[in-house]
Amino acid sequence: MKYILMMNTMRAGHGVPEWLKKDLQTHIAFMMGFNKELRESGELISAEGLSFPDQAKFVRAGKDGVPITDGVFPESKEFLAGYWIVDVDSAERAYTIAAKVSAAPGPGGAPLNMPIEVRPIMSGPPPEML
Amino acid sequence: MKYILLMSGTRAGVEAYHAWPKQDIDAHMAVLHRINQDLAESGEFVATQGLAEPRDAKVVCGEKSGLPVTDGVFPESKEFLLGYWIVDVANAERAYAIAGRISAVSLNMPIEVRQFATHEDKSR
Repeated sequence: MKYILMMNTMRAGHGVPEWLKKDLQTHIAFMMGFNKELRESGELISAEGLSFPDQAKFVRAGKDGVPITDGVFPESKEFLAGYWIVDVDSAERAYTIAAKVSAAPGPGGAPLNMPIEVRPIMSGPPPEML
Repeated sequence: MKYILLMSGTRAGVEAYHAWPKQDIDAHMAVLHRINQDLAESGEFVATQGLAEPRDAKVVCGEKSGLPVTDGVFPESKEFLLGYWIVDVANAERAYAIAGRISAVSLNMPIEVRQFATHEDKSR
């Protein structure tokens, strides 16, 4: 069963660049170790970090399909900071993995306990839609 | 340059989509398929996924003990990721053009376009 684990952040809450270098290094070392463990257990499908919200754009199709970009977001908007796709035996295992990454170290090495959204991935459109 | 195109919506929006006539859903899916084929042919396609419905979403927070705590109650206004496309393109404008095409077939929904973080590449 495939699940996506999504780490979301608010624009205001993403103060990562202001962390001390030492704290950032601890955080990155944790993430690399975490990804390595998932790769070794054969559960990791993919993982990516995204660029910061200040580089995000919304695109809508205008007339004739011409893209219209907009970079102004409501304060309340959540941004995807990064994600992991895992292939696991049960939802509980996906939640356990999510909890582990939730507790990634932040400033001073204290666990961040970030909320991680966990969603099953559809293997395809429902048969009645094809 | 790799970009992710994120399609998000609310629970109410997903329910409205399920109420579309079958022929409208078929037409919508056919164009999305065509876009995927075009991206595969141009060599820009990396990955795409649709996610299961928002009602199956959970939010997990680690506790002090490291045990997962799950929560499935979301505010009405919360946006959920419905699906994404990852493309490898020459520039941002090309990513916006692809997003525009997807938006045009999906009620002109806004598609969030984000580049992958480059520090991730160095760690590989």
